[in-house]
Amino acid sequence: MTLKVYGVLQATFTQRVLVVLKEKNVSYEFITVDWAGKTHKAPSYLLNHPFGQFPYIDDDGFILYESIAIMKYIALKYRDQGAPLLPDPGDLKATALMEQACSVEASNFNPFTTPIVIEKYGKPIRGVEPDEEVVKECVLGLDSKLDGYELILAKQRYLAGDSITIADLAHLPTGTIISRVGVTLLEDFTKRPNVTRWWREIYTRPSWQEVVASADAKI
Amino acid sequence: MVLKLYGDNISNLALRVAHVLTDKQVPFEYIKVDMIAGKHKSPEHAQRHPFGQIPYIDDDGLVLYESRAICKYIATKWRDQGVQLIPDPNDLEANALFDQALSIEQNNFEPITLNIMLELKYKPLRGEKTDEKFVESLIAKLEVKLNGYETILSKQKYLAGENLTLADIYHLAWGAVLIDELGVNSTIDEKRPHVARWFKNLSSLPGWLAVKNGLPYQEV
Repeated sequence: MTLKVYGVLQATFTQRVLVVLKEKNVSYEFITVDWAGKTHKAPSYLLNHPFGQFPYIDDDGFILYESIAIMKYIALKYRDQGAPLLPDPGDLKATALMEQACSVEASNFNPFTTPIVIEKYGKPIRGVEPDEEVVKECVLGLDSKLDGYELILAKQRYLAGDSITIADLAHLPTGTIISRVGVTLLEDFTKRPNVTRWWREIYTRPSWQEVVASADAKI
Repeated sequence: MVLKLYGDNISNLALRVAHVLTDKQVPFEYIKVDMIAGKHKSPEHAQRHPFGQIPYIDDDGLVLYESRAICKYIATKWRDQGVQLIPDPNDLEANALFDQALSIEQNNFEPITLNIMLELKYKPLRGEKTDEKFVESLIAKLEVKLNGYETILSKQKYLAGENLTLADIYHLAWGAVLIDELGVNSTIDEKRPHVARWFKNLSSLPGWLAVKNGLPYQEV
């Protein structure tokens, strides 16, 4: 039975799952969650996702949520097709470095980018005024963290080493939106040439361009 | 060469790693990086940790940071000894559910509990004023999240399934501080009996009790 993805094409965590599915050439059925109608808070939805969020997948009865877990599951299950996106699971050191990179995104990137996405992208959609103080703080915080990224990316092509992994791809959705709303930190070539090089490389991957096109087309 | 853990007892993230090392019966040297003296912000430290944080380990030349990545590495490398903290590596679905549980902790529990801690513990230490309204809103968010935990834990003993894993243990770093020092008792509130049972169980794990009050540093 075809893998089902429940989410919203324009939502950042849904897009993480979609980019991996496209990289791995995995067929899937996409079911849009009616977030405005609060479908994701209904008791029947909560049976599958106890936190009432999206995305989640149904892989022939196996239900999984948390985007990074889904990304990893797909990358492992379909190891033999598309770009590897993960090191050999038997390679302890390479796997640890990838886990480190995934955690870097969760600790040092997402806590700054997601609030910017909420304020400058999510709130306007709902007709709510953004809190510019929050945006300012997050931009300052992100600017500082990207100096750490610059140190890493000066020594290697991607965050976990010289091959692209799900850790890099995890940055794409929020990174894309913050760039669209005028936060240009990821492409400040003068200040951080390696971050800029890395960002442009992952952003222009055909799989990501397809996800962005689908998201834009539906608006 | 003996594994080296670089940290500071004032950081429960160093103690998180120490807990796992203890559970896995891995000998280690604990080397102090004096956070109060700002040593974690030095250029020397940045060579090892590009974000100027602690903890990090040096396992015979392999330098790793991010406490959860370190713990997973330790639990995987020393799979065959001590407390079992990860599922069978060959079980795709069990590992997916484990990754799901790890992500629940990192994305649903940590952001809220870390911020409660920063407001109620670290701001006063730095002479700054706690934002009480913010704390109230954080606790309200925590209550909602824990209702999700209650649903999960009413069906299975631990977050990833029937066995204790790293995903459960990670809740102690900030979760224990909230109860022990800050009077925020949401995780042991009996209105969510399964969460309360689970968290009390975690709080009394031998590995945690062995490290929670800090460890002696290696003489340098």
